[in-house]
Amino acid sequence: MKKRITGRFTVILFVIGFMSATQYNTVNTDNTRDSRDTWEIRQQLSREKQLHSELLSEISLLDDTLGKYSDKATKEPEAILKETVEDLRIGAGLTQITGPGIELEISPSLEAIALGTEITEIPPDLLIRLVNEINRFDGIELAIAGERVINTTAIRDINGYTTVNTEPISTPPFTIGITAESMEEARKLSSYLTASAIHDDFYIDDLTIAISEPQEDLALPAFDEEISMEYLEAGEGE
Amino acid sequence: MWISILGLLLGISLGLLTDIQIPPEYASYLSIAVLASLDTLFGGIRAHLQQVYDDKVFVSGFFFNIVLAAGLAFLGVHLGVDLYLAAIFAFGVRLFQNIAVIRRILLARWAEKKKLGEAN
Repeated sequence: MKKRITGRFTVILFVIGFMSATQYNTVNTDNTRDSRDTWEIRQQLSREKQLHSELLSEISLLDDTLGKYSDKATKEPEAILKETVEDLRIGAGLTQITGPGIELEISPSLEAIALGTEITEIPPDLLIRLVNEINRFDGIELAIAGERVINTTAIRDINGYTTVNTEPISTPPFTIGITAESMEEARKLSSYLTASAIHDDFYIDDLTIAISEPQEDLALPAFDEEISMEYLEAGEGE
Repeated sequence: MWISILGLLLGISLGLLTDIQIPPEYASYLSIAVLASLDTLFGGIRAHLQQVYDDKVFVSGFFFNIVLAAGLAFLGVHLGVDLYLAAIFAFGVRLFQNIAVIRRILLARWAEKKKLGEAN
């Protein structure tokens, strides 16, 4: 008798537990709907695919370096190390580079000159907008008024002066040099910027952008200050 | 007793692991069913402690209460009256009463045992 009662209670408790768990599952599900249409999903997919291919190429590059290191035939690990360091220096923007590219000249608009409007500095927001617009292209390097832009470069207002790498840039006109990976890329960048809506944003501030013809050998200066690595720490080795 | 708790844990883990979900519009029925089954469970425990436990009453009560509660809720939805509140109220009150009776019985037994221990 006692056994049977326990059996009944066990079954009932099992059912109760199951029902409670199901209820818990149902209540705690986030039912946010995916309201994107096919086009948006396709765009997301293409973004992810691009990221995927970028990661793959990075992995293959690193594998190459790793292969070189572990290659027993290489008698000079030092040379390879130096090569890697040089690559990293180039990547970080610590070397002067020369390559195909275009030059943008930021100058006061003709109307502003004709009307005698006071020429003010370019606002940092506008400059950041321009840099973001340019950065849509992969593999480009740029220098604003002789200041090389690297990953940690800050474009901001310091005491009323627009600064790049904490160096104030002169009032317009000044030039921005951009190098691309190839002449073709430089041409593409040039036509992209020519058609860009950024001109309108500049015009509001009485400024114009003149885009030069693509040049074969455009030289950009090296980043000449100490890179601030306050928050960087060496990673644990494998 | 431990086997029963094991059954409860087994049910909960099975429910969580299989990740079964019911449509949200039926969630209220399920919650009422859970309440009804809890009511039956505590009723059964009370009856067992009072030595009036009957297998048939317990098992039929379990299913009948669940169906009745869900049916009442269903009817309420279609009539536009919150009838499920009646079920919640009834089951809630009975749940508290049953638990109170169980507590009293257990307390009485404990007091008796203590008395016996002192007498010895």
